[in-house]
Amino acid sequence: MDTLLLARLQFATTTTIHFLFVVVTLGLVTLLVGLQTAGFVTGKPVYERLTRFWGQLYVINYVLGIATGIVMEFQFGLNWSGLSRYVGNVFGAPLAIETLVAFFLESTFLGMWIFGWHRLRRGVHLALLWGVAFTAYASAFWIMVANSWLQHPVGYEVRDGIAHLTDFGALLTNPTLGFAFAHVVSASLVTGGMLMAAVSAWHLIRRTPDFALFRTSLRLGLLTAAPAVVFLVGFGFAQFGPVGRLQPTKFGGGPDRDALVAEWTARFGSGDYTPPALANVGLGFMILIGFTLFLGTLLVPLLWRDWIIRLRFPLWLILLALPLPFVAVILGWIAREVGRQPWVAYGLLPTEEAVSPVGAGVMLTSLVGFTLLLGTLAVTNCVLLARHAARGAADPALGRPPAPDTDTHPAPVFA
Amino acid sequence: MELAWYALLGLFFATYLVLGGYDYGVGLLLARGATARRTALNAVGPFFLGNEVWLVAAVGILFGAFPTLEGELLSGLYPAVMGALVGVILVTAGVQLRSRPHTARARAGWDRVIVVGSALAALGWGALLAGLLQGVPLRADGHVDGLTHLFTPFVAAAALAMLALVAAHGATFLTLRLPAEDAAPVRRLARRLVPVAVTAVGATTVVGLLSDRVRAAAQQPLAAVLLALLLVVALLAARTALARNRPGVAFAATSAALALPVALVGAALWPWALVSTAEPGAGLTVADAAASGPTLRLLGWLALPLLPALLGFQAMCWWVFRGRTDGRAPVYW
Ligand code: HDD
Ligand code: HEM
Ligand code: HEM
Repeated sequence: MDTLLLARLQFATTTTIHFLFVVVTLGLVTLLVGLQTAGFVTGKPVYERLTRFWGQLYVINYVLGIATGIVMEFQFGLNWSGLSRYVGNVFGAPLAIETLVAFFLESTFLGMWIFGWHRLRRGVHLALLWGVAFTAYASAFWIMVANSWLQHPVGYEVRDGIAHLTDFGALLTNPTLGFAFAHVVSASLVTGGMLMAAVSAWHLIRRTPDFALFRTSLRLGLLTAAPAVVFLVGFGFAQFGPVGRLQPTKFGGGPDRDALVAEWTARFGSGDYTPPALANVGLGFMILIGFTLFLGTLLVPLLWRDWIIRLRFPLWLILLALPLPFVAVILGWIAREVGRQPWVAYGLLPTEEAVSPVGAGVMLTSLVGFTLLLGTLAVTNCVLLARHAARGAADPALGRPPAPDTDTHPAPVFA
Repeated sequence: MELAWYALLGLFFATYLVLGGYDYGVGLLLARGATARRTALNAVGPFFLGNEVWLVAAVGILFGAFPTLEGELLSGLYPAVMGALVGVILVTAGVQLRSRPHTARARAGWDRVIVVGSALAALGWGALLAGLLQGVPLRADGHVDGLTHLFTPFVAAAALAMLALVAAHGATFLTLRLPAEDAAPVRRLARRLVPVAVTAVGATTVVGLLSDRVRAAAQQPLAAVLLALLLVVALLAARTALARNRPGVAFAATSAALALPVALVGAALWPWALVSTAEPGAGLTVADAAASGPTLRLLGWLALPLLPALLGFQAMCWWVFRGRTDGRAPVYW
């Protein structure tokens, strides 16, 4: 096993886990903003209960976003020191901006939001959630700026073998950025909406007492996911334009690819400049899932007079379809990331030159260690999410009105 | 320009050690017993998420403004960074999830995770700072050679000293934050922990002075010794303040004690950021390690208006949730 392969595997595992959770974060926070704002405007208690229930699931989900995100950030330095050495001047800037503009504020706001129930004025409390949502989108945007630069490096010049920033604006108008960002945002709205609809469907199938509440969140989830699917598929196909033009080696052959490979062979020496076949397989399945979900929008008319609930089988369909968006996002990322191999920065920096010169033993320890750690946390987190989703909205801990002593479960003496 | 960014990097990392430090200190103290845990976690509550972002931001600044340093520093001190990182993750997940399960057994299990994570984080950051101070075997091609260079008595002593510092700091924080009736026992604990920290810091200083590598790597030995003395003075001040029941002053003093190691390492190595033990000229000076002009200018224009906002919102959080916790404090973690 060589260091390069291990480092790639580690990046792939940690990003995949990270993305599975942040895609939910991004979708749910949007819906939460809607719920809490509706509660603020109408003053109806059902919205406050909905905000507390979904907010608690959101906060539990958020834990893994942070835990894996921190690993991702350190990983660039730990395993990919060549990346910072050769292209850090350019690639580092959007990541630095992101941490300062987005993460820093996002977590600060969220901490205040969690503990601010019944303590802050309602308007301030709502503004905090808007702040969380806004910064979450900002973080996704800047991360995508960084990722798009790796897909298609722009706005730099190479001096003494090192890339220097010349035009920051070019990073923002990168042709691989716009459609991809819109596609990712639509994907998270679909995922968040479907999660909300599926959990609500489960409660409606089980006929839990909170009918009105879960009926509302079923409708909200579906009415978010359905239009988002249309955008998702639209932006998905739109991506083929820039990707085909700028990355001819990504999806199949043609004269463009041969010309580019010939150019690279002249500049970097001979080598295999085509990505592994893995990339394209995933793409096909993602498109299939996209069409399936698109068909799913046919359920929306059934919202009329609650036919969707009365007929019951649509609820089962929604529940069973829940894994689909998660599978699709992973496949999409594999298509994008594996498809740019063997480059870290397309046509600029080969992956093998970016990996840190640490021994394979260290890298293997790190891979196994972090995979086990994050994998265990991810599974535990999913179990907790499922339990709290199943428990229903009777009395979530989040936003519980203060009582003299709420801890009715004293822990045993520490052994 | 580079100096300003270097100072900003130091400021963010030092603030992280101060704020994250009390999280880990409180985390270590969860080992004391079950009844005190609820109140201890409540004391940290609203600040927890806002504390660890200082680390995320510090690494962001490191990547944006000092990309070369980032690569060599993190990969060159791999074991220390990995230990600290595992610790940070365990604490992050543990604190946020421990109250979600309903069974007492699951909660006790998470609490154990928090204790282990806090210890790992403290040991890891201590080892990282010490590894920097004793220099790394940076070769002429700019890469760090091997990892065994990290395992020295000095690193071990510094890691343990950081553990002691963090524990004392956490106890002092609880003295400041807990309801008045719960604060007395923690104050006694803090008064016992501070001397342990003084001993550990003193021992680390002696081991450092005896180590050839540390002596060779320190470019400004006078500054290093003075700052180490200042660290001891801060701890003694904390002890006096605790004895006089002035928890605010004591917390300020232990905070200074956690920030000072960062200043010490930065000042001792100046003008180098990374000193090479393998070839004298192969190290990285702060100027070499920095990103090129346009990148720093861009980040500078961004940071200038942003910093007041970042600090303002953090200050808002401290202000809103200031004072001692009471029975009516929101419970979530
Ligand atoms: C709910 C998830 C989901 C669904 C149903 C789809 N996608 Fe997608 N797709 C993603 C989630 C996603 C993603 C995870 O968000 C990716 C990874 C990178 C990106 O920009 O978005 C992605 C990447 C991605 C790429 C690769 C871009 C690149 O290599 O730079 C293409 C060409 C498409 N998508 C096209 C489609 C089409 C034509 C779809 C349907 C008909 C479709 N996607 C459905
Ligand atoms: C948006 C920010 C992202 C950045 C900056 C980024 C960057 C990188 C880097 C540096 C590598 C290692 C070098 C390489 O193999 O080319 C990599 C590989 C990889 N990434 Fe990403 N990535 C991002 C997002 C994602 C996401 C969200 C996923 C998956 C859900 C993902 C999936 C992968 C996979 C599967 C690989 C391994 C590819 C291979 O080695 O063949 N990436 N990425
Ligand atoms: C397209 C890919 C990515 C998206 C959309 C994304 C989005 C997000 C979001 C929304 C969060 C907030 C926390 C949460 O939602 O649970 C988050 C957390 C985080 N992400 Fe990512 N991310 C991506 C890839 C990356 C990469 C490549 C890095 C590495 C630099 C990274 C580093 C982080 C860090 C450090 C955090 C934790 C911040 C905190 O403490 O609040 N992310 N990410």
